[in-house]
Amino acid sequence: MTIFIIQLLNSFFYAAVLFLIAAGLSLIYGVMRIVNLAHGSLYALGAYVSAWVVGGTVGHAASGTLGLAGLLLLLPVGAVAVAVVGAVIEPTLLRPLYRRPEEYHLLITFGLLMILEDAMKFLFGGTPLTAGSIMDHMGSIPIGRLLYPTYNLFVIAIGLIAALGLWWIIYRTKFGVILRATSQDRRMAAALGLNVSRVYVQAFAIGCFMAGLGGAVVVPAQAAVLGMGIEALILAFVVVVIGGLGSLEGALVGALIVGLVRTAGIQFFPEIELAVLYLIAMAVLLIRPTGLFGRA
Amino acid sequence: MSLLETVHLKKYFGDTHAVDDVNLTIEEGEFISLVGPNGAGKTSFCNVVSAYYSADSGKIIFQGEDVSNASVTQRVKAGIARSFQLVNLFDDLTAFDNVALAIFSREGKTRNIAALARRDSEVTREADAVLNQFGLAGKRNELARGLAQGERKLLDVALAYALRPKLVFLDEPTSGVSTRDKGQIMDTIASVVRGEGITAVVVEHDMDVVFKYSDRIVVMHQGAILAQGTPAEIRKNEQVAMILIGSSGPDAFSRKD
Repeated sequence: MTIFIIQLLNSFFYAAVLFLIAAGLSLIYGVMRIVNLAHGSLYALGAYVSAWVVGGTVGHAASGTLGLAGLLLLLPVGAVAVAVVGAVIEPTLLRPLYRRPEEYHLLITFGLLMILEDAMKFLFGGTPLTAGSIMDHMGSIPIGRLLYPTYNLFVIAIGLIAALGLWWIIYRTKFGVILRATSQDRRMAAALGLNVSRVYVQAFAIGCFMAGLGGAVVVPAQAAVLGMGIEALILAFVVVVIGGLGSLEGALVGALIVGLVRTAGIQFFPEIELAVLYLIAMAVLLIRPTGLFGRA
Repeated sequence: MSLLETVHLKKYFGDTHAVDDVNLTIEEGEFISLVGPNGAGKTSFCNVVSAYYSADSGKIIFQGEDVSNASVTQRVKAGIARSFQLVNLFDDLTAFDNVALAIFSREGKTRNIAALARRDSEVTREADAVLNQFGLAGKRNELARGLAQGERKLLDVALAYALRPKLVFLDEPTSGVSTRDKGQIMDTIASVVRGEGITAVVVEHDMDVVFKYSDRIVVMHQGAILAQGTPAEIRKNEQVAMILIGSSGPDAFSRKD
């Protein structure tokens, strides 16, 4: 029973991180109709920046004066940095290509992926970076007769808050109405006098922030390593294929499914764990090509 | 000063002279109908003035200022709005949100993060007032895609109206609705437009509607203005009757179809 609860929590932890990545990917696609292949690398960038800041001299200083609170305050720096990168990328690299066919979107974002991967190799080197001090500071709580890292529960909470926050922004705010209108018909939104370019920058920056946040919350538990972005991108695609690209609910449900299947896979069928995920994605594509929550 | 003046306005599509040297002056507060056979250039004219098409040559003077090179957004801000022949609504948003969007757009405060939280009672009140004026208060929370054709037409006009334009182009606001709904839609539009002193240019095919509501009728043919005048003057114009319904004589316009 205890093992079961712990495995469930592990899948929620995993799902929370996946949701952050996939929700950003989905948001960007929903608004701009761009499949951002660089999304995984933006997640990795967030991880690297957060680990570098928290694990570096700034982190030591913050931890010295403020303790755990100081470190937690520094953790989102990676997400903010990625949002800033996004706010630069959208108007300079993506905007000139919106009117072009999709191949161009894939080419430019794939190029961006390569550049980001190399930039990270150049900036942070090949050594894994962690922000493990946060995990250590937070300690563990007993579940049954076992100990579970408190930090994992913290990440699950962040995932939930992010889901609720995004839902609130999209469905309950003025910005959300404008965002949904722009995503439905950018020409018409422009006709109404809405500033579509600004909405695009904001949406892209929010999507990047989500990816960066995913990276930031991961590094206290797992080190930032080269190649983590590609792996995350593929899993994020499995999530949005299952849930439906462009749907927030889809990203949430897809992340939960992938999280649960992956955890169960590691426990019960490690040899074919990834294969099972792809099979599920395939089945969804065959039965509902737009994903569980997607619209044609 | 006239509200709008077009000077030698031209827009060609290959050999088609969609707008051919149109000089039209519109005074503030007028209710103008733009009529003419299909392909006469009525919609093209609206498109050029509202910046959906760029003119090949000529000038567009709005309130004394040359707006010929202004973008759609800039012209909306200046006070030129329009509705479309094929209804343009955000189908996945509620009627209320559609109207609220127009108000947001007019306010143009989207940069201010604090103003982005939506519980803005002023916007809510205004959007509800607009819905009420167009008789759509009961449909407030319904998705636009679920509305009846007549209601969609009205909501489309309501969106243009919520931009608080000085000049509004309504492209066939009654097309595709029943004869019974036509009168109701036009009554609503006319009462709002006249009540608020908005200048309106309405593209319309139904001559009964045109004669009933217009201050002035502008007849277009092959991209050019063929005739213009009061309903009484146009009614007497045999050349216009020939072009519009292919017959002349004193009873040409009273024929019902």
